[in-house]
Amino acid sequence: MIRDHALIDELLAAQALDGLDADGAALLERELAAHGDCEECRRLEIEHAEVAGMLALALDPRPVREAMADRILAERRTAAAPIERLDARRDARLGWWQAAFGVAAAVALVFAILLATQDGEGQGVPGPAIVAFEGTAPGDLAMSFTPGESGALVWATGLPDPGPGKVYELWMIEDGDPVRGACLAPESGAVAAFLDADPSSADLLAVTVESEECPDAPTTDPVYTAEPGTTQ
Amino acid sequence: MTIDPGRSATVRSVEPGGARDEDLLRRLVAGDEQAFRELFRRYASAAHALAFRLVRQAQVAEEIVQEAFLSVWRNPDRYDGARGSVRSWLMGTVHHRAVDAVRREQAQRRRAEQASGIGPGVVEDPVDDLLAAIDLPRERKLVRAALGALPEEQRDVIQRMYFEGLSQSQIAERTGLPLGTVKSRTLLAMRRLRANLGEGTR
Ligand SMILES: [Zn+2]
Repeated sequence: MIRDHALIDELLAAQALDGLDADGAALLERELAAHGDCEECRRLEIEHAEVAGMLALALDPRPVREAMADRILAERRTAAAPIERLDARRDARLGWWQAAFGVAAAVALVFAILLATQDGEGQGVPGPAIVAFEGTAPGDLAMSFTPGESGALVWATGLPDPGPGKVYELWMIEDGDPVRGACLAPESGAVAAFLDADPSSADLLAVTVESEECPDAPTTDPVYTAEPGTTQ
Repeated sequence: MTIDPGRSATVRSVEPGGARDEDLLRRLVAGDEQAFRELFRRYASAAHALAFRLVRQAQVAEEIVQEAFLSVWRNPDRYDGARGSVRSWLMGTVHHRAVDAVRREQAQRRRAEQASGIGPGVVEDPVDDLLAAIDLPRERKLVRAALGALPEEQRDVIQRMYFEGLSQSQIAERTGLPLGTVKSRTLLAMRRLRANLGEGTR
Protein backbone atom coordinates (compact mmCIF):
# COMPACT_ATOMS: atom_id res chain seq x y z
CA MET A 1 0.00 0.00 0.00
CA ILE A 2 1.38 3.39 -0.98
CA ARG A 3 0.89 6.07 1.63
CA ASP A 4 1.01 9.81 1.26
CA HIS A 5 4.13 11.23 2.88
CA ALA A 6 3.68 14.93 2.09
CA LEU A 7 2.63 15.89 5.61
CA ILE A 8 5.13 13.62 7.33
CA ASP A 9 7.91 14.98 5.11
CA GLU A 10 7.05 18.54 6.11
CA LEU A 11 6.85 17.66 9.79
CA LEU A 12 10.09 15.68 9.76
CA ALA A 13 11.92 18.57 8.08
CA ALA A 14 10.95 20.89 10.91
CA GLN A 15 11.59 18.28 13.56
CA ALA A 16 15.16 17.78 12.35
CA LEU A 17 15.72 21.50 12.95
CA ASP A 18 13.99 21.37 16.35
CA GLY A 19 11.47 23.81 14.91
CA LEU A 20 8.20 21.99 15.58
CA ASP A 21 5.76 23.52 17.99
CA ALA A 22 4.09 21.24 20.52
CA ASP A 23 1.04 20.61 18.35
CA GLY A 24 3.27 19.80 15.36
CA ALA A 25 5.26 17.34 17.44
CA ALA A 26 2.05 15.66 18.59
CA LEU A 27 0.76 15.50 15.03
CA LEU A 28 4.01 13.96 13.83
CA GLU A 29 3.86 11.35 16.55
CA ARG A 30 0.32 10.41 15.52
CA GLU A 31 1.20 10.30 11.82
CA LEU A 32 4.25 8.14 12.41
CA ALA A 33 2.26 5.80 14.62
CA ALA A 34 -0.38 5.49 11.90
CA HIS A 35 2.32 4.50 9.40
CA GLY A 36 3.77 1.92 11.76
CA ASP A 37 6.94 0.25 10.59
CA CYS A 38 7.28 2.30 7.39
CA GLU A 39 10.46 2.33 5.38
CA GLU A 40 9.69 5.62 3.65
CA CYS A 41 9.10 7.37 6.98
CA ARG A 42 12.47 6.09 8.21
CA ARG A 43 14.19 7.20 5.04
CA LEU A 44 12.75 10.71 5.29
CA GLU A 45 13.62 11.01 8.95
CA ILE A 46 17.24 10.02 8.33
CA GLU A 47 17.53 12.30 5.33
CA HIS A 48 16.37 15.38 7.21
CA ALA A 49 18.43 14.52 10.28
CA GLU A 50 21.56 14.17 8.16
CA VAL A 51 21.04 17.56 6.54
CA ALA A 52 20.46 19.18 9.94
CA GLY A 53 23.56 17.43 11.32
CA MET A 54 25.65 18.97 8.55
CA LEU A 55 24.44 22.50 9.25
CA ALA A 56 26.38 22.67 12.51
CA LEU A 57 29.58 22.31 10.52
CA ALA A 58 29.00 25.69 8.90
CA LEU A 59 30.05 27.38 12.11
CA ASP A 60 33.61 28.25 13.02
CA PRO A 61 34.62 25.62 15.56
CA ARG A 62 34.81 26.81 19.13
CA PRO A 63 37.63 25.07 20.97
CA VAL A 64 36.87 22.98 24.03
CA ARG A 65 39.39 22.38 26.75
CA GLU A 66 40.77 18.85 26.83
CA ALA A 67 40.04 18.90 30.56
CA MET A 68 36.37 18.46 29.72
CA ALA A 69 37.12 15.06 28.16
CA ASP A 70 39.09 14.10 31.28
CA ARG A 71 36.21 15.18 33.47
CA ILE A 72 33.73 13.13 31.46
CA LEU A 73 35.97 10.07 31.39
CA ALA A 74 36.32 10.25 35.15
CA GLU A 75 32.56 10.04 35.44
CA ARG A 76 31.92 6.41 34.67
CA ARG A 77 34.61 5.34 37.08
CA THR A 78 32.80 7.14 39.89
CA ALA A 79 29.53 5.54 38.84
CA ALA A 80 26.15 7.06 39.36
CA ALA A 81 26.95 10.38 41.00
CA PRO A 82 25.61 13.26 38.93
CA ILE A 83 28.22 15.25 37.07
CA GLU A 84 29.22 18.43 38.82
CA ARG A 85 28.32 21.59 37.10
CA LEU A 86 31.21 23.60 35.78
CA ASP A 87 31.12 25.82 38.82
CA ALA A 88 29.07 26.22 41.92
CA ARG A 89 26.62 28.58 40.25
CA ARG A 90 23.08 27.38 40.43
CA ASP A 91 21.07 28.66 37.52
CA ALA A 92 17.49 27.61 37.86
CA ARG A 93 16.53 29.12 34.52
CA LEU A 94 18.87 26.99 32.52
CA GLY A 95 19.52 24.31 35.07
CA TRP A 96 18.80 20.75 34.32
CA TRP A 97 17.11 18.96 37.12
CA GLN A 98 20.43 18.00 38.62
CA ALA A 99 21.57 21.08 40.44
CA ALA A 100 24.37 19.74 42.56
CA PHE A 101 25.00 22.18 45.31
CA GLY A 102 26.53 20.69 48.39
CA VAL A 103 23.90 18.11 49.14
CA ALA A 104 24.40 17.74 52.86
CA ALA A 105 24.39 21.48 53.51
CA ALA A 106 21.29 22.04 51.42
CA VAL A 107 19.41 19.20 53.07
CA ALA A 108 20.29 20.51 56.52
CA LEU A 109 19.14 24.00 55.56
CA VAL A 110 15.84 22.85 54.12
CA PHE A 111 15.07 20.67 57.11
CA ALA A 112 15.81 23.63 59.34
CA ILE A 113 13.29 25.71 57.38
CA LEU A 114 10.79 22.86 57.49
CA LEU A 115 11.12 22.54 61.24
CA ALA A 116 10.78 26.29 61.70
CA THR A 117 7.64 26.28 59.57
CA GLN A 118 6.13 23.38 61.46
CA ASP A 119 6.79 25.12 64.75
CA GLY A 120 4.68 28.00 63.51
CA GLU A 121 7.71 30.26 63.67
CA GLY A 122 8.28 30.40 59.95
CA GLN A 123 6.27 33.56 59.36
CA GLY A 124 9.34 35.39 58.04
CA VAL A 125 10.17 32.58 55.64
CA PRO A 126 8.32 32.78 52.31
CA GLY A 127 6.02 29.81 52.70
CA PRO A 128 6.16 27.23 49.96
CA ALA A 129 3.96 24.17 50.17
CA ILE A 130 5.76 21.11 51.48
CA VAL A 131 4.71 17.54 50.74
CA ALA A 132 6.17 14.53 52.48
CA PHE A 133 6.44 11.26 50.58
CA GLU A 134 5.33 7.94 51.96
CA GLY A 135 7.16 4.85 50.91
CA THR A 136 7.84 1.19 51.10
CA ALA A 137 11.53 1.99 51.68
CA PRO A 138 13.02 3.80 54.69
CA GLY A 139 14.21 7.41 54.67
CA ASP A 140 12.63 10.86 54.54
CA LEU A 141 11.76 12.43 51.20
CA ALA A 142 9.95 15.73 50.72
CA MET A 143 9.37 18.46 48.19
CA SER A 144 8.67 22.15 48.52
CA PHE A 145 7.12 24.33 45.84
CA THR A 146 4.80 27.27 45.34
CA PRO A 147 1.60 26.03 43.65
CA GLY A 148 1.14 27.58 40.21
CA GLU A 149 4.81 28.48 39.88
CA SER A 150 7.59 26.58 38.16
CA GLY A 151 10.39 25.38 40.38
CA ALA A 152 10.48 22.90 43.23
CA LEU A 153 13.06 21.68 45.66
CA VAL A 154 13.31 17.97 46.40
CA TRP A 155 15.30 16.72 49.31
CA ALA A 156 15.78 13.51 51.22
CA THR A 157 17.84 11.87 53.91
CA GLY A 158 18.38 8.27 54.88
CA LEU A 159 17.51 6.86 51.46
CA PRO A 160 18.79 3.33 50.81
CA ASP A 161 21.43 3.00 48.10
CA PRO A 162 19.41 2.32 44.91
CA GLY A 163 22.10 -0.17 43.80
CA PRO A 164 25.00 -0.11 41.35
CA GLY A 165 24.20 1.82 38.16
CA LYS A 166 20.81 2.82 39.61
CA VAL A 167 19.26 6.11 40.65
CA TYR A 168 15.92 7.28 41.96
CA GLU A 169 13.69 8.96 39.44
CA LEU A 170 10.84 11.28 40.31
CA TRP A 171 7.65 11.33 38.23
CA MET A 172 4.70 13.67 38.11
CA ILE A 173 1.63 11.64 37.23
CA GLU A 174 -0.90 13.72 35.34
CA ASP A 175 -4.11 12.10 34.10
CA GLY A 176 -2.44 8.74 34.51
CA ASP A 177 0.62 9.69 32.45
CA PRO A 178 4.01 9.88 34.13
CA VAL A 179 5.99 13.03 33.29
CA ARG A 180 9.67 12.86 34.07
CA GLY A 181 10.60 15.09 36.99
CA ALA A 182 14.12 14.56 38.21
CA CYS A 183 16.85 11.98 38.51
CA LEU A 184 18.08 11.67 42.05
CA ALA A 185 21.43 10.11 42.86
CA PRO A 186 21.77 10.02 46.65
CA GLU A 187 25.09 10.82 48.31
CA SER A 188 25.29 8.98 51.61
CA GLY A 189 21.52 8.66 51.43
CA ALA A 190 20.97 12.41 50.99
CA VAL A 191 19.45 14.15 48.00
CA ALA A 192 18.82 17.80 47.17
CA ALA A 193 17.69 18.66 43.69
CA PHE A 194 15.97 21.45 41.87
CA LEU A 195 13.03 20.60 39.65
CA ASP A 196 12.25 23.03 36.85
CA ALA A 197 8.51 22.37 36.80
CA ASP A 198 5.32 23.05 38.70
CA PRO A 199 4.40 19.84 40.54
CA SER A 200 1.09 21.19 41.82
CA SER A 201 -0.71 20.19 38.61
CA ALA A 202 0.22 16.53 39.11
CA ASP A 203 -2.29 14.12 40.62
CA LEU A 204 0.48 12.09 42.18
CA LEU A 205 4.22 12.31 42.66
CA ALA A 206 6.04 8.99 42.50
CA VAL A 207 9.64 7.87 42.86
CA THR A 208 10.94 4.71 41.23
CA VAL A 209 14.35 3.04 41.04
CA GLU A 210 15.72 3.30 37.50
CA SER A 211 18.96 2.83 35.59
CA GLU A 212 21.31 5.80 35.81
CA GLU A 213 20.45 6.84 32.26
CA CYS A 214 17.08 8.01 33.63
CA PRO A 215 14.55 6.50 31.21
CA ASP A 216 11.65 8.52 29.77
CA ALA A 217 9.08 6.30 31.42
CA PRO A 218 9.12 4.37 34.70
CA THR A 219 10.11 0.71 34.47
CA THR A 220 9.53 -0.27 38.11
CA ASP A 221 6.87 0.25 40.76
CA PRO A 222 7.07 3.35 42.95
CA VAL A 223 8.97 3.14 46.23
CA TYR A 224 7.77 6.56 47.40
CA THR A 225 4.61 8.49 46.53
CA ALA A 226 3.00 11.77 47.56
CA GLU A 227 -0.07 13.76 46.55
CA PRO A 228 0.87 17.36 45.86
CA GLY A 229 -2.54 18.43 47.21
CA THR A 230 -1.74 17.13 50.70
CA THR A 231 0.72 19.77 51.83
CA GLN A 232 1.86 20.28 55.34
CA MET B 1 41.37 20.56 15.52
CA THR B 2 39.69 19.25 12.45
CA ILE B 3 36.03 18.38 12.40
CA ASP B 4 36.53 16.25 9.37
CA PRO B 5 35.83 12.61 10.20
CA GLY B 6 38.49 10.12 9.27
CA ARG B 7 41.33 12.58 8.92
CA SER B 8 42.98 12.26 12.28
CA ALA B 9 46.71 11.71 12.17
CA THR B 10 46.54 10.03 15.57
CA VAL B 11 43.98 7.54 14.44
CA ARG B 12 45.62 6.94 11.11
CA SER B 13 48.78 5.83 12.87
CA VAL B 14 46.77 3.20 14.68
CA GLU B 15 44.25 2.27 12.03
CA PRO B 16 45.11 2.89 8.40
CA GLY B 17 42.49 5.11 6.82
CA GLY B 18 41.23 6.42 10.15
CA ALA B 19 38.51 4.89 12.28
CA ARG B 20 34.98 5.55 11.15
CA ASP B 21 32.73 7.29 13.64
CA GLU B 22 30.60 4.16 13.82
CA ASP B 23 33.64 2.06 14.72
CA LEU B 24 34.58 4.53 17.44
CA LEU B 25 31.08 4.20 18.83
CA ARG B 26 31.40 0.43 18.91
CA ARG B 27 34.68 0.71 20.81
CA LEU B 28 33.02 3.16 23.15
CA VAL B 29 30.42 0.58 24.07
CA ALA B 30 33.32 -1.58 25.24
CA GLY B 31 34.54 1.32 27.40
CA ASP B 32 37.46 2.35 25.16
CA GLU B 33 38.62 5.76 26.44
CA GLN B 34 40.78 6.42 23.39
CA ALA B 35 37.74 6.03 21.17
CA PHE B 36 35.91 8.57 23.29
CA ARG B 37 38.80 11.02 23.11
CA GLU B 38 38.91 10.68 19.36
CA LEU B 39 35.19 11.30 19.00
CA PHE B 40 35.49 14.24 21.35
CA ARG B 41 38.39 15.61 19.32
CA ARG B 42 36.39 15.34 16.13
CA TYR B 43 33.14 16.89 17.26
CA ALA B 44 33.41 18.75 20.55
CA SER B 45 34.46 22.07 19.03
CA ALA B 46 31.72 21.89 16.39
CA ALA B 47 29.22 20.99 19.11
CA HIS B 48 30.50 23.86 21.22
CA ALA B 49 30.14 26.31 18.33
CA LEU B 50 26.58 25.14 17.77
CA ALA B 51 25.59 25.39 21.41
CA PHE B 52 27.18 28.82 21.75
CA ARG B 53 25.50 30.10 18.59
CA LEU B 54 22.15 29.20 20.08
CA VAL B 55 22.48 30.07 23.75
CA ARG B 56 25.02 32.93 23.42
CA GLN B 57 26.39 32.27 26.87
CA ALA B 58 29.82 30.69 27.13
CA GLN B 59 29.19 28.82 30.33
CA VAL B 60 25.81 27.45 29.34
CA ALA B 61 27.23 26.36 25.97
CA GLU B 62 30.03 24.48 27.70
CA GLU B 63 27.58 22.77 30.01
CA ILE B 64 25.48 21.64 27.07
CA VAL B 65 28.51 20.14 25.33
CA GLN B 66 29.64 18.45 28.51
CA GLU B 67 26.23 16.96 29.18
CA ALA B 68 25.87 15.76 25.60
CA PHE B 69 29.26 14.04 25.57
CA LEU B 70 28.74 12.65 29.04
CA SER B 71 25.57 11.05 27.81
CA VAL B 72 27.49 9.57 24.86
CA TRP B 73 30.17 8.23 27.20
CA ARG B 74 27.66 6.73 29.58
CA ASN B 75 25.19 5.42 27.03
CA PRO B 76 26.92 4.86 23.70
CA ASP B 77 24.48 2.04 22.98
CA ARG B 78 21.74 4.61 22.55
CA TYR B 79 23.15 5.27 19.12
CA ASP B 80 21.28 3.33 16.46
CA GLY B 81 23.23 3.04 13.22
CA ALA B 82 20.05 2.28 11.32
CA ARG B 83 18.78 5.79 12.12
CA GLY B 84 21.61 7.84 10.68
CA SER B 85 25.20 8.86 11.18
CA VAL B 86 27.01 9.39 14.45
CA ARG B 87 27.55 13.00 13.46
CA SER B 88 23.87 13.78 12.97
CA TRP B 89 23.01 11.93 16.18
CA LEU B 90 25.59 13.86 18.17
CA MET B 91 24.82 17.25 16.65
CA GLY B 92 21.11 16.56 16.96
CA THR B 93 21.54 15.89 20.68
CA VAL B 94 23.50 19.09 21.20
CA HIS B 95 21.07 21.14 19.12
CA HIS B 96 18.11 19.76 20.99
CA ARG B 97 19.60 20.58 24.39
CA ALA B 98 20.61 24.05 23.27
CA VAL B 99 17.17 24.81 21.82
CA ASP B 100 15.58 23.69 25.08
CA ALA B 101 17.76 26.19 26.90
CA VAL B 102 16.97 28.95 24.39
CA ARG B 103 13.22 28.42 24.66
CA ARG B 104 13.31 28.56 28.43
CA GLU B 105 15.39 31.72 28.23
CA GLN B 106 12.99 33.23 25.65
CA ALA B 107 10.00 32.56 27.86
CA GLN B 108 11.78 34.24 30.76
CA ARG B 109 12.87 37.20 28.69
CA ARG B 110 9.36 37.65 27.32
CA ARG B 111 7.97 37.83 30.80
CA ALA B 112 10.68 40.30 31.79
CA GLU B 113 10.07 42.41 28.68
CA GLN B 114 6.35 42.46 29.27
CA ALA B 115 6.99 43.55 32.81
CA SER B 116 9.39 46.33 31.80
CA GLY B 117 7.66 47.34 28.56
CA ILE B 118 10.87 46.85 26.52
CA GLY B 119 10.54 45.13 23.15
CA PRO B 120 12.87 42.45 21.77
CA GLY B 121 16.35 43.57 20.74
CA VAL B 122 17.78 43.70 17.24
CA VAL B 123 18.25 40.24 15.74
CA GLU B 124 21.66 39.55 14.24
CA ASP B 125 22.17 37.85 10.94
CA PRO B 126 24.60 35.04 11.70
CA VAL B 127 24.40 33.36 8.31
CA ASP B 128 25.68 36.44 6.56
CA ASP B 129 28.88 36.43 8.54
CA LEU B 130 29.06 32.69 8.02
CA LEU B 131 29.08 33.20 4.30
CA ALA B 132 31.82 35.82 4.41
CA ALA B 133 34.59 33.55 5.63
CA ILE B 134 37.12 31.96 3.28
CA ASP B 135 39.70 29.20 3.26
CA LEU B 136 37.82 26.58 5.20
CA PRO B 137 37.98 22.84 5.61
CA ARG B 138 36.09 21.04 2.88
CA GLU B 139 32.93 20.31 4.82
CA ARG B 140 32.51 23.77 6.24
CA LYS B 141 32.98 25.21 2.78
CA LEU B 142 30.43 22.77 1.38
CA VAL B 143 27.79 23.57 4.01
CA ARG B 144 28.28 27.31 3.72
CA ALA B 145 28.03 27.11 -0.04
CA ALA B 146 24.83 25.08 0.29
CA LEU B 147 23.36 27.67 2.65
CA GLY B 148 24.50 30.47 0.37
CA ALA B 149 22.79 28.86 -2.60
CA LEU B 150 19.37 28.88 -0.90
CA PRO B 151 16.87 31.54 -1.92
CA GLU B 152 17.04 34.24 0.70
CA GLU B 153 13.59 33.58 2.14
CA GLN B 154 14.44 29.90 2.69
CA ARG B 155 17.84 30.70 4.21
CA ASP B 156 16.12 33.08 6.58
CA VAL B 157 13.88 30.30 7.87
CA ILE B 158 16.83 27.94 8.38
CA GLN B 159 18.78 30.65 10.09
CA ARG B 160 16.02 31.49 12.53
CA MET B 161 15.05 27.90 13.17
CA TYR B 162 18.38 26.09 13.33
CA PHE B 163 20.81 28.84 14.34
CA GLU B 164 18.52 30.84 16.61
CA GLY B 165 16.31 28.09 17.97
CA LEU B 166 12.95 29.58 16.97
CA SER B 167 9.94 27.35 16.35
CA GLN B 168 7.84 27.62 13.23
CA SER B 169 5.10 29.60 14.98
CA GLN B 170 7.67 31.95 16.51
CA ILE B 171 9.09 32.59 13.06
CA ALA B 172 5.62 33.26 11.67
CA GLU B 173 5.00 35.67 14.51
CA ARG B 174 8.25 37.57 14.02
CA THR B 175 8.19 37.75 10.25
CA GLY B 176 4.46 38.23 9.82
CA LEU B 177 4.40 35.32 7.37
CA PRO B 178 1.51 32.84 7.42
CA LEU B 179 2.46 29.72 9.37
CA GLY B 180 1.81 27.60 6.30
CA THR B 181 4.42 29.59 4.37
CA VAL B 182 7.00 29.04 7.09
CA LYS B 183 6.26 25.31 7.00
CA SER B 184 6.55 25.01 3.25
CA ARG B 185 9.75 27.08 3.18
CA THR B 186 11.25 24.81 5.83
CA LEU B 187 10.63 21.76 3.69
CA LEU B 188 11.81 23.42 0.48
CA ALA B 189 14.97 24.62 2.20
CA MET B 190 15.75 21.19 3.59
CA ARG B 191 15.22 19.54 0.22
CA ARG B 192 17.43 22.04 -1.53
CA LEU B 193 20.11 21.76 1.13
CA ARG B 194 20.14 18.02 0.71
CA ALA B 195 20.52 18.38 -3.03
CA ASN B 196 23.29 20.95 -2.57
CA LEU B 197 25.12 18.96 0.07
CA GLY B 198 24.93 15.81 -2.03
CA GLU B 199 27.05 12.91 -0.88
CA GLY B 200 28.19 14.89 2.17
CA THR B 201 24.96 14.01 3.92
CA ARG B 202 25.59 10.29 3.89
ZN1 LIG C 1 5.42 6.25 6.13
